[in-house]
Amino acid sequence: MSMADRDTIMAYLDGELDAEARRVVEADKAAMAEIAALQRQADAIRALYDPAAAEPLPARLSPHRLALLHNRRHREGLLRAAMVVAVLGIGVAAGWLLRPVPAPASLYEHLIADAVSAHTIYTAENRHAVEVPGSEGEHLSAWLSSKLATALPMPDLSKEGFAFLGGRLLPAPALSGGRAAQLMYEDARGERLTLYLTPAAGVDGPEFELVRLGGDNALYWADARITCTIVGPQPAERLQALAGAIFPQLSPVPASAPAYREL
Amino acid sequence: MVDFLDELEACVPALRRYARALTRNIDHADDLVQDCLVRAISRRGLFRPRGPLRPWLFAILTNLHRNDRRSARRQGAPLSLDAVPDPAVPAPQPGHMALAELARAIETLPLDQKEALLLVTLEGLAYAEAAAILDIPLGTLMSRLGRARAALRGLTGAPAEPHLRTVK
Repeated sequence: MSMADRDTIMAYLDGELDAEARRVVEADKAAMAEIAALQRQADAIRALYDPAAAEPLPARLSPHRLALLHNRRHREGLLRAAMVVAVLGIGVAAGWLLRPVPAPASLYEHLIADAVSAHTIYTAENRHAVEVPGSEGEHLSAWLSSKLATALPMPDLSKEGFAFLGGRLLPAPALSGGRAAQLMYEDARGERLTLYLTPAAGVDGPEFELVRLGGDNALYWADARITCTIVGPQPAERLQALAGAIFPQLSPVPASAPAYREL
Repeated sequence: MVDFLDELEACVPALRRYARALTRNIDHADDLVQDCLVRAISRRGLFRPRGPLRPWLFAILTNLHRNDRRSARRQGAPLSLDAVPDPAVPAPQPGHMALAELARAIETLPLDQKEALLLVTLEGLAYAEAAAILDIPLGTLMSRLGRARAALRGLTGAPAEPHLRTVK
């Protein structure tokens, strides 16, 4: 009668026992007979399938070949992805190049746009429309002249029916490190007008430009020293008439009669 | 990279043998081996365990084979054992009849017993390795192995061993 259990017999057969355990099993005749039978079985299984391992390898089972195919597929996948990105990019670039605006805005156009933005924002304010009230005209003039590093007189438009409300200092994002001054006027009906003033250094563009943006007209004027954009809801003719009163006051040398260019 | 592929190549004969024994069909077996190699190549950076490749490859192939059987069953394509040609078995010559009988007997084993039997007896893997490949405890592996061996002895007409004491 075998004293060894099934697991011990299998462990012996499969080489999982240490030397001492093996000696114990080997002393057991019945166990050794069982092991011999199982050994024959295992030999038969190997005889059955070992030939499969000895067959020459077909090309399709070559790891080197499979790796090449895999890498090629991988690369093609990446290439496809790159092409999708490229096509999208071309579309975006074409869309940008073919956008309605035919040419990039130049600096003075940015100044006009900024002038209109500032006009829209601050003329809507009642109590905080200006930073320094028009009653402190002298102080305001000195302050803004100092900030913009150029002499800025506060034009008087009372003859044209506009009261001077005051002014504020603004950033001028279009100019590098730039500053701008906004002066605000109001007529008897409560309609407001702003002047957007910047130093003219580095700004090239026409001397005059009249643009309609939204509900407002903007009249841009520049000389060698300063730029001034007049913004208001008034008709273009009215702005031109006002400009005739404003520019001579801003510039020490009276400007000659302007010839406006319509956009 | 080249080292990895060389190592892989060295494992291919054993993989073919194991796949052949699992499927008893040359083409199906080589399909499995090819799938196994492709998977190993594409995942080598991610899942390859440290240490020898062989157990990892056997685990991949075992799982691929299980998936194949599951989907074959879902597609309602039962394999008739008698109808399947048996190219892995040598032509029946005198003395080879016992082997053909053994091949058919192995085929009747439940898959989990067959896997355990083939990994240990055919591929000569240690119990711990085989248990890790099949993702089962050592005791479960030995239980499956013991049942497979006992079943084969019954099926191949080997004399029963009345004195074999089975535990559990």
